[in-house]
Parts: sequence; C-alpha cells; structure tokens
Amino acid sequence: MAYNANMNVADIRAGLLAGDFTAREVAEASFKRIEELDGEVHAFLELTKDAAFEQAAKIDEALANGTFDEMGPLAGVPVAFKDNMNYEGTHTTCSSLMLENYVSPYTATCVAKTIEAGGIPLGKLNMDEFAFGSSTETSAFGPTKNPWDLERVPGGSSGGSAASVAAGLACVTLGSDTGGSIRQPAAFCGIVGVKPTYGMVSRYGVVAFGSSLDQVGPFARSVRDAAAAMDAICGHDPMDCTSQYVKADFRAACEQGVEGMRIGVVPGFMNAPGLTDEVKARVSEATEALREAGAEIVEVELPHADAAISAYYVLGPCEAFSNLARFDSVRYGYCAEGHKDLGSQYEASRAAGFGMEAKRRIMLGSYLLSSGVYEKYYYPAQQVRTLITQDYQAAYEKCDVILAPTSPRTAFKFGEIGDPVEMHLSDIFTVSINIAGNGGMSVPCGLGSDTGLPVGVQLIAPQFKDENMFRAAAALEAVYGAAPIAPDFAAGKAGE
Amino acid sequence: MTQQLTERDVRDIATYARIGLTDEELAQMTVDLNSIIETLKPITEFDLESVDPTFHPIGGLSNVMREDVEVPGFTQEQALSNAPKQQDGSFLIPAILGGGDQ
Repeated sequence: MAYNANMNVADIRAGLLAGDFTAREVAEASFKRIEELDGEVHAFLELTKDAAFEQAAKIDEALANGTFDEMGPLAGVPVAFKDNMNYEGTHTTCSSLMLENYVSPYTATCVAKTIEAGGIPLGKLNMDEFAFGSSTETSAFGPTKNPWDLERVPGGSSGGSAASVAAGLACVTLGSDTGGSIRQPAAFCGIVGVKPTYGMVSRYGVVAFGSSLDQVGPFARSVRDAAAAMDAICGHDPMDCTSQYVKADFRAACEQGVEGMRIGVVPGFMNAPGLTDEVKARVSEATEALREAGAEIVEVELPHADAAISAYYVLGPCEAFSNLARFDSVRYGYCAEGHKDLGSQYEASRAAGFGMEAKRRIMLGSYLLSSGVYEKYYYPAQQVRTLITQDYQAAYEKCDVILAPTSPRTAFKFGEIGDPVEMHLSDIFTVSINIAGNGGMSVPCGLGSDTGLPVGVQLIAPQFKDENMFRAAAALEAVYGAAPIAPDFAAGKAGE
Repeated sequence: MTQQLTERDVRDIATYARIGLTDEELAQMTVDLNSIIETLKPITEFDLESVDPTFHPIGGLSNVMREDVEVPGFTQEQALSNAPKQQDGSFLIPAILGGGDQ
C-alpha cells in the first residue's frame, strides 16, 4: 500500500519495513499535500525541504543497510515544529514582526530529539504572537484556520501545530503550553495534545514566555503516536536546569488498560458556568466509557480552581514581561531606524515589533511587578499557587488521574471573541495544571451535538505520573477510535 | 472596584516597559489594562496569612552545576549573525552619552 496521510506512526514504520514506500516518498507526498492544501489552512510559516530530504535519504539508507531498527520511534514520520522552537538555519519568528528576519543559530533540544528519533522535518508552524492568545488571531502573519470549519479558529497558541495534524499535513507536531496552548487547540481541532509535567521535556531553545509554566509537548491523531513522540522528546537535558531525570515508557503505558484505575471527576468543573451543554454531555459520556472499561470513578474537589485564572493572569504576564525584555533591537530582532539615542530606539523598535496582545501582557507584567503592586498581586498569586498545588495533591490521594473538559466550548468563529478578558476565560480548565506543574492531555471524545465540532476531554496526571493519563487516553481511544483527518481534508484530496 | 489606572499611569508603565504608544493606543491600553486588572481581584481576597509562596512548580530542586570544562560555544560571527547593526565585530548602538548628537 502506498503511503497516505492517514497513516499513523506504526503504519509508516510497517510500510517502510515492508518496502511498500520509501522515506523519500513520504517526504514528497507530505510536501505535495502541504502545497495543495495549506493555502486554505495556513498552518505553515516555512518549509524545510532540504532537511526533510536529507533525513529521508538517511532513513532509506538505514532501510537498505538493515539498520532501520536502530533509528528512533519516529523513523520516517512527517513532523513539524511550532515557530517558537529554534531549528538551526530556519526562521524562528514566534509569529511576530519582532523576529520576522531572525534565523536560528542553533537547535532546540526538543527539535533535535525529534529529528534524532527519525522524524522527517517538514517545517515551522504558525502560532499566536509569542504564544499570547487562544486562537492564532494574534499571529503577525495571519491566522491559521480550523480544518473542521475554515471560518473558525484552530485554538491557540499552538494553532498551526494542531491544524496541520488535523488537516493531515503532518503526522506529529510539537507545541508549547503555558496555560492551555497545546490542549485547547488539540480539543478545537479534534486531535490529541499533550502538556507533560513541568520538567519532563527540555525547553532549551524554545523562546520563553512564562518560565515557571512553559512546557513542550506533542500533537498527533492517535494516543499511541503521541506516546511515541513523548518517548522521543522526554528526558533530562543539561542545557535546561528545570529538566528532570525521568524514566517513562509512554508506549508501554498505552497497553496497560484502566482496570482498577481511579478516575477523579471534579463537580465544580462539570457545573462551571461557562461550560456548554454539548461539551458537558460528551465529557460525561467519556467518563462513562472509562467506567465501562474498568476504571473506578470518584469525585474529587479542587476548591481553589476558581482562583487559577486570576493567578495565571498575574504570573504569566509578569514572567512574559521579564522574558520579553530581551528584545532590545540590539542583539537580534526588529530595530527601528534613525534613532540617535538608545532609549528612543528601544521604544520605537518594541512599539513596531510587538503586536497589541504582546504589548498588553508586557505592560500588565510591568505594572504588576512594580513596587506596592507586587505585594498586592504577584506575591499572593504565588501563595495561591501553593493552595492550588495542595488541592491537586489532596485530590490525587483519591485518584490516579483527573478527568475534566479541556475547553468550555467548541471552536469559535474568527472575530467572535474580541474582548481580551473573555478570550482569557477560554483557558479556565487548563491553566491550573500549568500553575501546579502537572501533566495534562486533551483527547477527542466525539462531536458536539449543537455545533458538530470536535470536543476534547482533558486527562490530568500527578506530577511525573504522565503515564497514568496515557493509560486512560488509550482506553478512550479504544472506544472512540483514533482521530480522523478533518472531513474536508480527508486523504485523497491532494490526488494521492 | 479597585483604583483605576489613569492614562498617565499607563504612560509611566509603558516608559518602564520601553514600549512607545500613540495617544490612541494609550487610551485603549488604559481601558484594557483596567478591565484585566479588575478580573485579577480574586487574588486579593484570599486569606493567605500562613501560606508560603510557591515560586516554582517542582519542589526539591537545587542549583545545577557542571564541571568547569571548556565546551564549544557560538563563534563571534554566529553571535552577531542576527544583529540589526554591527561594527568591528561588536553590536552597534546609538550613542548613550552626550545627548545623541555625536
């Protein structure tokens, strides 16, 4: 059987080993689809054809030599990276005019590990500017569209990473998640998205947003593909002092089943005011599906969850303000011409280089860290973080994984949410996980009965027990099946 | 209702954050910041008397040191490769002393 975009990691491996197709053909077919279909989606900002064909040649050589088995878990798999990940020789723009012309002089560890594991790098993916947003509408290079409905957003900030997988333009992609930026777009695009425990995946070479919150993770159309990607990127990196020595086997976890596993459900989440009926219904069904698969469902409380969103919108901007101070128009990034003193060059360059949402967050962080205000918001937000963390610790005495909605609603239309405060509320079920540093992933659980759009259910693991959520995710996938490519982009559309 | 930021406050914040704002942007930013700050209020309403802060999500970490062994880093050329302006192997900036007229 010739290669086609529906194939998962295991299919590609089997096809390559059987000689049904070559890695070169995988790369050629992938770029053909991108060229024919990405005009509608706008997931990619840059293609890395030379690197892809070089990698494909290596894989084909390994197949010929009989050394293919020594290649990693992603051998021959078309992959792509969010554009905040440095990849030597590519532009790394963070979808910002500030970095429009920035060319990476080095490669992020997560990118290097994905390629070492055999991934064929297709290119770099669109995002909200500097990851500030939940819709990719803040990208300076135009929004990405949701392959399920091109009038709707793919979610964000890792919108390009989600949309490319949902449209079958890549098999596995990487994104980053500071408050929900992997899980929410995965839910909106009907695919799997994983935010591992803080410290599980190196952030070295990923442009920082909120350093106590940021984590890198994969997108895929199946839980096992996401597990293969996790096995490839997880682990300690001497270049990131927050990365941990972890021993995990995500692919093995997928085979363990949920018999006897305790799944925690949070009544406060299921009765949250903004939660739509269609999402609530699908998430409740997913809970039942796990019960039928042998899990025990228990109720747990997270009493301080309501405070998470305000804590996040204190901590996130403060850390962003600090991280984005590096864009000084001197060492790299946009530089406004014609200024005779450094101060006005800074102000003019940052005024022209950053978009409005970036400016809002930088300004908010600047204000919140100022003397007198710090004591009122920032320090208490770090105390609230303690309470949220303690809530999770108490909840995990009663359960092995917590199940919740990923997003209160399905994908919204472009321009539908203009108010920044309302946009921030779309992160209501995801931010507390970043604040506590737990692992969380979104898994598709059917289509909403009102909108007909994908709904995601979120599985939340205790710190460093991310295998738990993969066990539950694989059990859900056994019921719902792996995610399909969005109907309008089904394989065959590009004339395969 | 918390005390609202004035346009003058927001101008000061912008100066500190090194972001130039037009008068129109300043007006909009003032509205936006005030509305976001209003939503942060729950943070100010908790009884946090005896609660320690958590600055980092993983406990029990200590500083990581490595052996003091020379390892290759960027060449000067690589380090300067994205500099908007450079001269004689250095980053070039406008004069910082003397009012900028030199």
